[in-house]
Amino acid sequence: MEILQPLLRSMETGSVYALAALGIIIVWRTSLVMHFAQGAMGMFSGTAVAFVLNRTGAPLWVAVLAGAVVAILLGFAVDFAVIRQLKRATAVGKEIVTLGLIMVFMGLAPIVFGTDPMLLPKAIPTGEVEVAGANISYNAILNITVGIAIAAGLFVVLQKTKLGLAIRATASNEQTARLMGIPTKTVTLVAWAVAGVLGMLAAVMIAPTTTVTPTFMNTVQVSALFACVLGGFQTFYGPVIGAYLIAVASNFLKLYGSSVWGDQILYLLILVFLLVRPNGLVGKTYLQKV
Amino acid sequence: MTAALRVEGLSISFGGLKALDDLSFTVNEREVFGLIGPNGAGKTTVFNCVTQFYRPDAGAVFFRVDPQRLAKNATKADTEDGELNLVGRPVHSIIRQGLVRTFQNVEVIPELSLIDNVLIGGHVDFTASMFSQMFRLPRARKEERAYRDKAMAALRFLKIDHLANSLTGGQPYGVRKKLEMARTLMAEPTLIILDEPAAGLNDAETEDLAGIISQIRDDYQCAVLLVEHDMGLVMNVCDRICAISFGKFLALGTPAEIQQDAAVHEAYLGERDDD
Amino acid sequence: MSETLKPQTRRWLGNAHLQYLLFGAVLCLLPLLSSSGVLKASTLSTLAFVLIYAIAAMGLNLLLGYSGLISLGTAGFMGLGAYLAAYVQDDLGLGFWVALLAALVVPTFIGILVGVVSLRVRSIYLAIATLCISEILLKTFEQAEWFTRGTAGKQSSYPVIFGVHTDRQAMFVVIVIALIAVMMLTHNVVHGQLGRALHAMRSSEVAAQAMGVNILKYKLFAFALATLYAGLAGALYLFFLKSSYPSTWNLFLSLNVIAMVVVGGLRSIFGTVAGAFVIIAVPELVLKELPVIGDIPGLPYIFSGVLIVLVIMFFPQGLQGLWQLVRDAISSRRHPSGPGTPRATAEVEPPLGTEAVTR
Repeated sequence: MEILQPLLRSMETGSVYALAALGIIIVWRTSLVMHFAQGAMGMFSGTAVAFVLNRTGAPLWVAVLAGAVVAILLGFAVDFAVIRQLKRATAVGKEIVTLGLIMVFMGLAPIVFGTDPMLLPKAIPTGEVEVAGANISYNAILNITVGIAIAAGLFVVLQKTKLGLAIRATASNEQTARLMGIPTKTVTLVAWAVAGVLGMLAAVMIAPTTTVTPTFMNTVQVSALFACVLGGFQTFYGPVIGAYLIAVASNFLKLYGSSVWGDQILYLLILVFLLVRPNGLVGKTYLQKV
Repeated sequence: MTAALRVEGLSISFGGLKALDDLSFTVNEREVFGLIGPNGAGKTTVFNCVTQFYRPDAGAVFFRVDPQRLAKNATKADTEDGELNLVGRPVHSIIRQGLVRTFQNVEVIPELSLIDNVLIGGHVDFTASMFSQMFRLPRARKEERAYRDKAMAALRFLKIDHLANSLTGGQPYGVRKKLEMARTLMAEPTLIILDEPAAGLNDAETEDLAGIISQIRDDYQCAVLLVEHDMGLVMNVCDRICAISFGKFLALGTPAEIQQDAAVHEAYLGERDDD
Repeated sequence: MSETLKPQTRRWLGNAHLQYLLFGAVLCLLPLLSSSGVLKASTLSTLAFVLIYAIAAMGLNLLLGYSGLISLGTAGFMGLGAYLAAYVQDDLGLGFWVALLAALVVPTFIGILVGVVSLRVRSIYLAIATLCISEILLKTFEQAEWFTRGTAGKQSSYPVIFGVHTDRQAMFVVIVIALIAVMMLTHNVVHGQLGRALHAMRSSEVAAQAMGVNILKYKLFAFALATLYAGLAGALYLFFLKSSYPSTWNLFLSLNVIAMVVVGGLRSIFGTVAGAFVIIAVPELVLKELPVIGDIPGLPYIFSGVLIVLVIMFFPQGLQGLWQLVRDAISSRRHPSGPGTPRATAEVEPPLGTEAVTR
């Protein structure tokens, strides 16, 4: 049984899911909003990257920078114009709003960038290296490194910096944080922008394996949500673990289970997991107040 | 005198912290029984253990159930001398035995009219099947009419029947509190637990409330267990009072006895207990 | 109601079930308009889909509006109903009634399982759990070729009902009958003890339990009825269109159904139908005809999405609330001293827009 090759491939997709999942979790922790539109917003700014690349012929890093600007502006706009206005809405109401945003961005993308599907090349087009009998492309190594580096970098920022403290304080209790003088509004604004950039990066990493259409981030969005469920919404590292687990499980189920039914089996397993451990792998149970 | 509710050796801890420690007391039938204590004494925890929202680590909650009711609910096997141990029973089955509560933060449904809110209190009495209700068969319609009359009577008892068909959402706090009490009357209770009913009421409303509590005891022939911060109300309306502190029993007696009790004074010392 | 009507007539018109029947009778006139050429055939089709989706939305309203439970599974259950109807009618040749029964029973059974899931997970996870089920169903529709013919699409035929060979116009009448039945059933549910229990559960599960409401029973009930409606809508979709493709039953359909409920106004039966009309018919019949913006490819998406966001942000009562405002305005003009019964509509707190202050 071949293990290393599919494992390496899973690490690559896992990194994509992890970035998207981190975006969902950072929004959840600061705004208490389930960010269903993470994938759709990533799709939009990812499509912007492809658009810049295809229209201007600029190098990829310039296009990615442009995409980051789009992602940050979108994040600001959504938090400022929509989420902030929903302070008094219930959790389900906020959920529905981000579901509505999916449709808005899916509808906007073809209007802004045209209806023709676009291609986004790999950051490192060719070349691979052999590791213990398994082949891995330079691009995959880059993607895995970027994923892990960003996740690790984010943890350092969250744990060691003043901004990180502000985010964690807002996450644990928005009201108290505000009373302690933390500018919680700025914190959520930053969180939405960070989530936007993470989504854009996930899109740029997954795009070379497919074509850039309004739906190309759907699998990433679904997987990232499931990663959050698996890892629990209470920590920042749980969903990252969840993301890699899902990628590995998906790959191995398809390879050694059924190539056709692998995803359904995985989703069923996730559902069963949700029943057994509703708070995730590293989640705490919480006491309901009466 | 027979006991309506006997709490025996109740203990529960949260994360190693003992919220209740071997607490026992008895509420007699048709008496107003007050439960007092400084903030954090565990008063609300007692409520939640009695009504099974929390499962106590140790102890028992014996509740006297009317024989007719028992026959209806088919729980005869579990009783001893007409008393039923509530510990371990599902939360939604408690009201069926005649034990009903109100909430500190007034849990009424703003989107429904007052009378519909009261009808929720009679939920367990509706026997028409889901099928019969979905197709409005005569049985379901007859039942609805009968309980509507009963709900009207409960609203009349609390003198808010003129608002029966108004929406609850826009009503002032005092009306919503009364509505919650009217709802408890639908369950033909033998014991009503009131969780800080005077919180948020002004002096006149509190006085009104004292009258309502006595009237409920006399007219509906049921006991009232009252957890309250307002000492004026407690001393005024209660037949007996139990004081607790840090989850432990402190003193038991008539209002006059409690007022003289040294241990109670000590527990309250330094704390002006008005939340 | 006009003041000039006799009191007896007014009471008659005020009867909810009679209103539904009248509404149905009016809808049944539409095929006549179509065959006489007043109404375009494509318009009749669009209206049929409005009514079909209204049935599914009625089920979601029971969940989202009355019970406060969210579901992203509507599309999956509709698809399941559609494929079951086609499979039983055309592949097994068992006829309309057995096909309809299969399309109702199987999704309902799965719906009950979802209800069990909903007991275990916190409300924020429920959307993800139902999304998970919908994804499983969607992928199954793509892969189980013996059942669905995969992406090539399943073809079906107009059913034979009571020995009558139906056609498009007859099917329209069947859809109307189904919708009216669903509206009346929903009315009975929400205006009795069942509905009050759902209200109590939404308002506070803790308080509901203290009032004797068995949360297990009512969550299962809400999910069962919602999936029953979705299965019915799916079967009617198939019988009307005579084909089904997996791509129809994706997340966007579920989102559109949520949009119908939100736009129509939570907890309103006529509002749900109006919501379905706005979400399905307005882009199809109105927006498409507009110059310049009519050709924009993603317009229906943007329309639904923007409406969801705007309604929740600014007018959580939806079309139902708008209708209430209009009615109040008319009655206050008629009686300048103000309406006879004190109304507190403006102060009612809708569950999605604003949180109860007492929390």
